[in-house]
Amino acid sequence: MKHPSEEHDLIRWIDGEMNEDERVTFEARLKQDPALATEVQKMSALSASLRAHMPAEMRVPHADYFNTQIEVRITQMALDEARAKQSASGWSAVLQLLSKPWFALAGATALAVVGFLLLNPEIGVASESMILSSYTPNTRVQARTYHDAGADATVLMLDGLDAVPADRKIAGINIQRTEMEPELASTTMFDGQGTAVLMISHDALGNPMISPR
Amino acid sequence: MKLFLSALSLIFCAAQACAQDQDSPPPIISAAKHATDGHVWGALIFATNDASQLTGAKEEAHSDLPNLHQRLAKVFPFKHFEILGQHRQDIFREYESWVVPSRDLFMKIDSKGPADKDGVNMHLQVWHKHQVLVKSDAVLRKDSPLFIGGPPWKEGRLIFVLFLERR
Repeated sequence: MKHPSEEHDLIRWIDGEMNEDERVTFEARLKQDPALATEVQKMSALSASLRAHMPAEMRVPHADYFNTQIEVRITQMALDEARAKQSASGWSAVLQLLSKPWFALAGATALAVVGFLLLNPEIGVASESMILSSYTPNTRVQARTYHDAGADATVLMLDGLDAVPADRKIAGINIQRTEMEPELASTTMFDGQGTAVLMISHDALGNPMISPR
Repeated sequence: MKLFLSALSLIFCAAQACAQDQDSPPPIISAAKHATDGHVWGALIFATNDASQLTGAKEEAHSDLPNLHQRLAKVFPFKHFEILGQHRQDIFREYESWVVPSRDLFMKIDSKGPADKDGVNMHLQVWHKHQVLVKSDAVLRKDSPLFIGGPPWKEGRLIFVLFLERR
């Protein structure tokens, strides 16, 4: 059985990571140790086989979604950090302000502004819905998002979707109430008359399954 | 006699078990028993310029969402907007919520908790049959509907509208 450091040297030699002195020393050992030489041959063959069958670069699956999720997380962490700093330094800043001679005038002005904002909560703060990130599994589909002031709505436009066949009949449903069974992960949906219209659950792959079809 | 008593007790036990089965309701839990982060109204809308293609559906828009057709017309270049189906749904805090105005195009919502300005953070998935069209992280706020431009159909387009109710 090889010592771990010996195996490490072996791998480093195969990968060409040894400096000149280490390489000379290791190759001298190879000449004197037939068992080690055999091991090197086996490892070299295995390494060559792996390189031949594995691509040099592997594409990260769903990389765009992964990236957007990281961006969202980074933004959230930055906001959390800013809030934490703000709350930590808040009290010391208040104490310093209290000692300033112009505090009374500035404070009165600030109170007036705060009062105005409280009475008019719509001013100064965005109140529309927002799309933070989007991911389309079909790479031919592009998701665009924006706020349309004229429509007073947030838009998520999916461009490049395949058309639904024109002869396909699309019937709508009017659902007014649902009942859920968490243990079976199923939801039963009822119309305005209390009639069960459909049930949605998951198939073995986790995809939604609507019944009756 | 002993045999008769044994048979009688067996019949009695069986009858009691049957009665218990009939008394106990099915284990469906009402939506009202689950914590919610809000309530949404979702609708599937068909937009077209050709009135002859309309399906004749008579669904009406949510009363808190005025001028929906005019607002849709500002985003989508169509003259006619027809609500095919609609669904009012609780946003469950701990479970997924489905908005299914149609078997063809529907949405899954996973709540991520309240947001500022009376909003709700959520993860959305729009499904077409067994295919997910888009996954999004979003903040939905009251009086600010979300218009999702879906797939073309006939010579028009299917649109999904999601709206956070005020109640």
